[in-house]
Amino acid sequence: MDLNPCMKHQLIRKTVREFAENEIRPRAAEMDKGPGFPDDLMEKMKPLHYFGLQVPGHLGGADLDTVSYAIVVEEISRVSAALGLCITVHNSVGIYPILRFGTREQKQQFVPPMAAGESIGAFCLTEANAGSDAGGVETVARETAHGFVINGTKIFVTNGGICGTILVFAVSDSDPGKPGVFIVENHTPGFSVGEIEDLCGMRANPVASLFFEDCAIPADHCLGIPGQGLKIGLTALDTGRIGIAAQALGIAQAAFEESVSYAQARQQFNKPISRFQTIQNYLADMAVQIDAARLLLYRAADVKDTGRPFSAEAAMAKLHCSTTARMVTDLAVQIHGGYGYSREYDVERYFRDAKVTEIYEGTSEIQRMVIARHILTRPT
Amino acid sequence: MILEKQIWVWADYRNYFHSRVTLQILARASVLAKKNNAVVCAVVFGDRVDAYAGEYIAHGAQKVYVIDDPALKVYNVESYAFLLSTLARQYAPQILLIGATRFGQEIAPRVAKQLDTGLTADCIDLDMDDTGRLVQVAPSFGGNLIAKIITPHTRPQMATVRPGTFQELPHDDDATGEKIRRPLPENMPKPRVRCLKSELQQARVRKIETADIVITGGRGMGSKGKFKKLLDLAYLLNAEVGATRPVVYADWISQEALVGQAGKHIRPKVLFSFGISGAIQHTAALADARFIVAVNKNPNATMMKLADVALVADANQVCSGIIRALKDRIRN
Amino acid sequence: MLHIIVCIKQVPMVSELPWDPKTGTLKRETAQGMMDPAARRALEAALQIKAKTDRDQVYITTVSMGPPMAEEILYEARALGADQGVLLTDPCMAGADTCMTANILGKFIRDHCPDAGLILCGSMSSDSETAQVGPQLAEELDIPAIGYARRLELDDHCIRVERHVDDFMELLEMDLPGLVTIDHAGESDLYTPRYVALAGVEAAFKTRDIRVMDRTALGLDNDFNALASSPTKIIEVYSPITRKENRVLTGAVKKMVDTLFDDYGKIISSAMGKDLKTHDHEGDA
Repeated sequence: MDLNPCMKHQLIRKTVREFAENEIRPRAAEMDKGPGFPDDLMEKMKPLHYFGLQVPGHLGGADLDTVSYAIVVEEISRVSAALGLCITVHNSVGIYPILRFGTREQKQQFVPPMAAGESIGAFCLTEANAGSDAGGVETVARETAHGFVINGTKIFVTNGGICGTILVFAVSDSDPGKPGVFIVENHTPGFSVGEIEDLCGMRANPVASLFFEDCAIPADHCLGIPGQGLKIGLTALDTGRIGIAAQALGIAQAAFEESVSYAQARQQFNKPISRFQTIQNYLADMAVQIDAARLLLYRAADVKDTGRPFSAEAAMAKLHCSTTARMVTDLAVQIHGGYGYSREYDVERYFRDAKVTEIYEGTSEIQRMVIARHILTRPT
Repeated sequence: MILEKQIWVWADYRNYFHSRVTLQILARASVLAKKNNAVVCAVVFGDRVDAYAGEYIAHGAQKVYVIDDPALKVYNVESYAFLLSTLARQYAPQILLIGATRFGQEIAPRVAKQLDTGLTADCIDLDMDDTGRLVQVAPSFGGNLIAKIITPHTRPQMATVRPGTFQELPHDDDATGEKIRRPLPENMPKPRVRCLKSELQQARVRKIETADIVITGGRGMGSKGKFKKLLDLAYLLNAEVGATRPVVYADWISQEALVGQAGKHIRPKVLFSFGISGAIQHTAALADARFIVAVNKNPNATMMKLADVALVADANQVCSGIIRALKDRIRN
Repeated sequence: MLHIIVCIKQVPMVSELPWDPKTGTLKRETAQGMMDPAARRALEAALQIKAKTDRDQVYITTVSMGPPMAEEILYEARALGADQGVLLTDPCMAGADTCMTANILGKFIRDHCPDAGLILCGSMSSDSETAQVGPQLAEELDIPAIGYARRLELDDHCIRVERHVDDFMELLEMDLPGLVTIDHAGESDLYTPRYVALAGVEAAFKTRDIRVMDRTALGLDNDFNALASSPTKIIEVYSPITRKENRVLTGAVKKMVDTLFDDYGKIISSAMGKDLKTHDHEGDA
């Protein structure tokens, strides 16, 4: 078996890294004062297909395989996790469910503007009383003669402040046990965006609450068939987990690189701190965790590419990548000492950005549930 | 047939007062010639170039080959390469040196190819080993690797020489030398490249790429207003000001000032770097800076590691401090 | 139809090289490769010509001589919009100096691209920095050449080139076929390379039409050996020991600045071309 990246994946990484280093890194710290991304940066990304990573060519995308997709998200997140978040959420839970479950017409209508970056995607499930437990969703889609009317409030919606095409997870008024996923566009009357959340990390991403007050949408804006919501939601989450795992990996990688270079440069007791065994142990632990995370992530992506069920692999990758991100950024701050706690240093941002990867797109606890379920139901 | 050993220097006079590289190479050729009992010769092409021939004699040339013809008024790489290789075949010099100006680097490879000999680019040192072979010392990777190169079997041994590498000899009015005038060969082909325009550009007297002192500033300067202080410092130091990409983005200074892979490459004798962390896009363009003074609050910034002297402090305060010190120290 | 040949080169990504900060040594063998920035500008010039012309009227071939791993930059060129990529690779080509490189590229173009109208090269590569292969290739092919182009203008079978050489702004013209090297320094933004679009990478690897040619395919002699045939010989390569003391000053600003001028004033004043007083603190007492 060949665990080395192939030439294509190497070239994808170089391509994205070049763009990220030149165009994103110089502005990442400024963006962190957020919320929002610079328009001219987004304009530069649009023609390079960052908004249509896995969209087929005829719909205006790059048609990447999932391993390439993971590499793209990792490399963007390595310089700006908040922008990496925008990209991964837009591509994986914004576009992917439409590609997977949408009708031909829905794909034709919604995907090209999204792939072109003209309409940013968001997926909203979480509510005040529903997070990990999707059964608590109270947003209602009432069926009418012309389509559906959506009512409810969604919170912590990634890309909320800039989204154009929103996938809304809502229950049917007639059968609350059968939720559906509905496509709402931001110009729909009754739709509004709440205040941008003041979060610990990912501050450039305009995470917001979204309000749906008697939002009337046509019948063909229901994704898949009514009542298929849970399946769509779970599929979206599986895919999303690969993206978030990649994002977490990018953060960890960035913090690791900073730590190595800092440890070699920083002198204490007349020698670089990298000569101290404690620091060496830290660096070794970071490297091992990151390598393991990367292998788990690429395996999950590869399984998805071969068309096999990848739910457990995605959960394992997400769990380990996000744990690694938290651990590595924590050690990175520790290695940097007082400087690491200062906003002047990027590791401080990485530290704040890392934590949420253990929370969104399914908490680490949920990932363990998913993994355990697969272990216990696997035929022996 | 001349049996004496000759070291040739192709004379690039087009920008005489600005570019002294020919004189610098003549000085080095004189040193090499003594080791090898060779004669230093300059080769001049052009229209009414007698005065230059005299200058080269005053700077160390013992012989000057001159082809003086109105047809050679404008530098033309094809014609000049033809003439130089024709003369070289005739007189068989051991060594042929050319200044690594842009034109020099254009004509040299063509002459080398016409003479089927080797050529080393942009040498930063030249020496002669015990067997009389020219040891050509050339940098690569922006000076991060140095190669010693010889041309063992073919003659002449050719090299282009980086301007500023050697010190020119003082002008010696009493020096004597022989001027050997050659006519334009009748078989000279008509040049295939036509020159529609060639004019000395009244560019700014100094450019950041060639400035001896460059001051670069990054975000660490704090604000647009504070960044402007670097211009005051530049005035005192007789320096040019460059900037990093974030600074250019923030419109603290125009795009023109961008120093980096996507902007200007600089090679100053002294570089002052204020509040720059040192992203690779920036530092890649500084590889040839000889002496670096970096100022940053972060002692571990890449820029601070590249520096000869690293001042751990607020860039803005140090800038003010240097301005005060200079006003105090510059002798009037 | 205009057939443009762009000669490109894979160079080590210096920024990624592991450094030994003590000696300034760089470990070239572990370097990642990338397309030489100047060659990429040349490709950009070709792509702009293609974009301006009726697309079917321009065909771009990129050719590179190098080790097998250099195939990557030919895929990158395809991703950017080149129509075809050719890798000239064979152990017998290793160690070629600029003269032999020009011979090999010249043989490929003469024998395999007889319809080549315009040949573009970067004016100088970022690794060996010789600026020699372009002019020597023109000699090898016996075609006219213009170096350091900042702007190209095609007019039927004639090309006009604007360039800036040693403080001279020049406008030159030649008939095709001809060779142009694109200015590597790029003060003008005209040929600043575009970024690679991701769809291009995916498509380049789907079509996989990179042609790999070895000694036999190229028709070189059985005993061809570029290293032995090269007129120049490298006798030694070393990293200059950067005797940077990397002196770190801390403390009060005034004290640091005084130390700077007292200890390094000479370096600064000679660069300024002005005398500076070095305080020997005689006035302080």
